Amino acid sequence: MERILTSVAAIVLALVGSAGLFVGANKLFDLAPRKWTWFTTGVGAVVGFHAMAILWANRVVESLGVLSIPAPDIILVEVIGVDIPVIAVLGGLIGGAAGYVLSITRDPIQRIGIGVGGGAAIAVLIGLFVRTDDAVTEDDVFPPVLPELDFAALVLWTVIGAAVGAVIAYGLKALAGRQKDPIRTIVLWASLGFLAGGWLMADLGPDGSRVEAVIASLGVGIGLGAWIGMRRYPELEAREEVSRKARVWIFLGPALGFIAATLVIPLLRTLWLSFFRGPPRRDGEFAWLENYQDIFTDEGIINVSNWSNIFTSRLFWGGLLLVVAGLAVARILGRRTGHAIEASPSTLGTMGLGGFLLGFAIFTVLRGTIINNLWWVFTVTTLATGLGLAIAVLADRAKYENVAKSLIFMPMAISFVGAGIIWRFMYIARPPQDTQTGLLNAAWVGLGKLSNSTGPKLIALVILALAIAFLVYLGLRAYRTGEGNSVAAGAALTILPLLWLAWKIAFPGLGGFVEGPNGETVADTVIFLSNSPFNNVWLMVVLIWVQTGFAMVIFSAAIKAVPSELLEAAKVDGATESQTFWRITIPQILPTVGVVVTTLVVVVLKVFDIVKVMTNGNFDTQVIANEMWQRAFTELNFGLGSALAIILFIFVLPIMYLNVKRMQEAS
Amino acid sequence: MTTTRASAEQLQAAAATQTSLERGLGKRLYGFLKSIPTWVLWLLVILWTIPTFSLFVNSFRTRDLQRTTGFWEAFVDWDFTLANYEEVLGSGATGGVWEGLLNALAIAIPATVIPIFIAAFAAYAFAWMDFRGREWLFIATVSLLAIPAQVALIPLLQVFSSGAHLTLPVFDKTVTLMPDLNLSGKTIAVWLTHTGFALPFAIFLLHNYISGLPSSVFESARIDGADHFQIFMRLVLPLSIPVLAAFAIFQFLWTYNDYLIALTMIGSSGSNLPVTVRIASLAGEFGLREHILAAGAFISTVLPIAVFFALQRYFVRGILAGSIKG
Repeated sequence: MERILTSVAAIVLALVGSAGLFVGANKLFDLAPRKWTWFTTGVGAVVGFHAMAILWANRVVESLGVLSIPAPDIILVEVIGVDIPVIAVLGGLIGGAAGYVLSITRDPIQRIGIGVGGGAAIAVLIGLFVRTDDAVTEDDVFPPVLPELDFAALVLWTVIGAAVGAVIAYGLKALAGRQKDPIRTIVLWASLGFLAGGWLMADLGPDGSRVEAVIASLGVGIGLGAWIGMRRYPELEAREEVSRKARVWIFLGPALGFIAATLVIPLLRTLWLSFFRGPPRRDGEFAWLENYQDIFTDEGIINVSNWSNIFTSRLFWGGLLLVVAGLAVARILGRRTGHAIEASPSTLGTMGLGGFLLGFAIFTVLRGTIINNLWWVFTVTTLATGLGLAIAVLADRAKYENVAKSLIFMPMAISFVGAGIIWRFMYIARPPQDTQTGLLNAAWVGLGKLSNSTGPKLIALVILALAIAFLVYLGLRAYRTGEGNSVAAGAALTILPLLWLAWKIAFPGLGGFVEGPNGETVADTVIFLSNSPFNNVWLMVVLIWVQTGFAMVIFSAAIKAVPSELLEAAKVDGATESQTFWRITIPQILPTVGVVVTTLVVVVLKVFDIVKVMTNGNFDTQVIANEMWQRAFTELNFGLGSALAIILFIFVLPIMYLNVKRMQEAS
Repeated sequence: MTTTRASAEQLQAAAATQTSLERGLGKRLYGFLKSIPTWVLWLLVILWTIPTFSLFVNSFRTRDLQRTTGFWEAFVDWDFTLANYEEVLGSGATGGVWEGLLNALAIAIPATVIPIFIAAFAAYAFAWMDFRGREWLFIATVSLLAIPAQVALIPLLQVFSSGAHLTLPVFDKTVTLMPDLNLSGKTIAVWLTHTGFALPFAIFLLHNYISGLPSSVFESARIDGADHFQIFMRLVLPLSIPVLAAFAIFQFLWTYNDYLIALTMIGSSGSNLPVTVRIASLAGEFGLREHILAAGAFISTVLPIAVFFALQRYFVRGILAGSIKG
């Protein structure tokens, strides 16, 4: 109960806090056009407060004390209790005062004076409270931060800063015609140069003195103060401009900030880490591309040494046969109608199936994490897209269409972890002499028993024979009448797998059994999850099971979006249903195929949960995401883990490019 | 006039071929063939449902039954028990599934609500505010939606466990950008990460909708003196409720079901683990407590499935808006 309260409180606080910040920022900038005094005072206070608070948090200055706002009892989230350093409050007061005075002063010289005064006050405050003792924390001791000034360096850096400012100011004026006060830009950059010379370049430590600290901060404070004070008093139009411009960034700020903090900067840092060897930070050693070299020479990650086995695999020759058969039929039929090839569903389907088998032939021989991941992409994308399209078509205008679609779509609501567990129950393999409790093995062993008894065998063969005879009749009829070329091709090409099935049933037998030592039949189970390489396919099935629903929903909407005038026009012109489908519906939803495929490719490339839960990459089932996770978070090899993450990112880049192109076309 | 007659004739011709086909094959056979697609469809539906269904049935069977017979035998023997649920929900050594459910909600709710607002601000700015580089910035933001989470995990975990420190290259001084707030292992680390990762997609989805709102609404409001903030709060948010709901459901299911980010940011032990991580570690010891695994897995899926069936329309709308318009 307390945990629930805690979480609810944390959530509400986070929400109220961020909403308050957003509304507050909006209200503050609402003040700019009409109530300029309030606005500048507020901005001055906020800037002064944050400047000091950041310095305090970085242990540059000490505070006079800390106003602690303790966390209420029910909130265990420690972040929510806040410490407000008194020095930041002082900074806020000075900033607010300077802002107030600036807002009521129009004389340019006086304005500069006020800016310099405010800046100097904050600088003195920093100098007075700069930390002179060791700061001791749990893990570390931080020496004092007194600067040892080197005046030559100070002057040099200030001059460099001023020079940079001059180049920028006059350069922009010459190139972009920007009409801004160049002196202001020079002052800004000179004070940044002073900051570099006084604080960043100087040795910080116990050897400096407080006086030097005051000098080092005074230069910066006076410079920045002057920069602010040199701004001319803004008239109403300029104030409205301030409010308008700031509004954009108030609306965009939270989103861009979050994206930068959780995606862009971490991405860059991952890239950076991928060049380091060993554990991160202190022990890491810059090693150029050695991590990548390791990856590409690791037999576990890319292994193509057995490539010649491709040509001895049955998958390869079977696939080749199908492609050749499909091509041959298409060519023969095409000659009759005067096309180079007859592109009908059956010929294309046969060639597609052949291509699919060829892909399998390659991916079962070339192994390793990366190639295995590509196999996932190849298989899951193809099958989920194909099945999704098929189901969308079958369900379209069927009775209880919505029920069927919901049930197919439901796995999308289940976590990958849950899906993995569900399928582990399906894949259970018990010792052959025991009862099989997994559905698939029970069915497979049952099938083996059936195909060893004469009755069912005969029935199956008779049904197959009837089907084949029917197809022969259909094909011949379509061929003789000269119409329905595609029907003939379809019949011819469907007979092939039926013949294969008949042969399989009649002679070697179908299903899970082997011949025992005495000629008796013994049950033979499929060890789904540990027999490589096909265990990968069984893992892919889980993702296909989940993602087919996604593809189906999108295709279903696309099919329903095909303009009905087109379909009616086709019907009026005497097109059959299948002609309408292949010649109108399919071309109409082709762009959708692109969307589905790109989305699926990204999902499959990132596949992690299923593999982690079902095999954890054992038995030759590793994928990039899991390899990355193991290297980074089990072995704590952040360099190699980062390199693997970057490889994953590189695989996604083409998809990102396609997405951007599509978005540009849409707008 | 002539065209109408021509098309009528064609219609008749088409009908004639169809009837001849029917007569040629025999009405019954033709009817059977016509119903094949429906049969195939329902066969697929059954195939798709069996895995979940079998888990459901198994979760009500005793350990011994689960180990010796398949789930289908339950309908022959009719032997069910609630013991697995009692064990898995009971506190103590069984993995704390109940606590896991609460933790999953503590992650999923803020990770759903917060990105909605942040993304709505940004989507509104991209759609209805004028500023330089708008197109460019929008495309850059949205292109990030395909980025795999893996590229950000290592740095984010470092930030959550030890803060962010930047060492300035020339000056060799380290500046603390974010102090060590000791967030790793806490749910807040998970939902902060989810919030960031969700934004590109959320902005994309909401922008599609918000940019399609009629501009006349905004113009009349602006004439009445409303500024962007008022327009956003009083007009845009109420008008966008359908798309906000669509994204909310999508994001809720995604974050509730997430495993990778929770596992990385929280680890695999401790009291903050969401249900997915707990169930996964139950699965890791397959054999020991496999009898409660089905019950645990089923409990973890009850909420998302209920949300899914109750609000399916919004969920589908979210998926469609996120893909087709792109």
